[in-house]
Amino acid sequence: MNNRLKVLRAEKSWSQGDLAERLEVSRQSVNAIETGKYDPSLPLAFRIADVFGLAIEEIFLRD
Amino acid sequence: MTMATVPRNRPGLWVGLFLASAGVIAALKLTEAIDPTTAFVLFAISMILLVPMIRAMRAAGPAGVGASSAAIRYTKRIGISSALYVLGLGIAITIDRKLELSTALALAIAMLPVLPIFGMIWSMGRYLVEEQDEYLRHRAAMASLAGLGLLLGAASFWGFLETFGIVPHAQGWWAMPIWAIGMGLAQGWMSHRDRAGGES
Repeated sequence: MNNRLKVLRAEKSWSQGDLAERLEVSRQSVNAIETGKYDPSLPLAFRIADVFGLAIEEIFLRD
Repeated sequence: MTMATVPRNRPGLWVGLFLASAGVIAALKLTEAIDPTTAFVLFAISMILLVPMIRAMRAAGPAGVGASSAAIRYTKRIGISSALYVLGLGIAITIDRKLELSTALALAIAMLPVLPIFGMIWSMGRYLVEEQDEYLRHRAAMASLAGLGLLLGAASFWGFLETFGIVPHAQGWWAMPIWAIGMGLAQGWMSHRDRAGGES
């Protein structure tokens, strides 16, 4: 699954650590999701969407 | 779910030390330079290296990130279990050497090192339950499966070599260290892969 996490994070000038802190996860998690190594669970995807004020489908895209 | 941190460390150092010590002990045992009991004791002592190894692997995530509070609890539990294991093993071997054991007493002293190993397995299970960070939990589960794969492969391979008289008999307690080595190597590889991904 592709995602726009890196772009959205850059728009807010957040580091991976900044985003990880907002999501209450490790920076490894943010890095793994951004690079497509790990697809988040639905609850975490909702938290990510809430942090950016977007819908899940505006962040995560079908392959 | 706050990410408490512990200092970064060098997992490779502990992995190298443990593998080197296990290799030296195995070589000494196979060349009959040391007897099986001595090899057993030395290997038990070398298992202590698994504690800082696992701790360092959990601590050495991408820059600025340390272990979760669940990982710290896990490390403490594994440390206590490992210490009890070495203590129990030492007591069991000492009693076995000095006394003629009945079956019931032999069973009782065999439990001295076994119960702490059950504690280690319980600690690993609790970590998977308590870890709130789903990606770290996923990594731990994958590492456990990698350890299981190594154990199944090694046991099957060795078992058939033993069946056809190529290698000597291996004690069943090797299962735990082989599994732990596989898990540690997998954690190390995943940590390296995550670091290689880096922040951009």
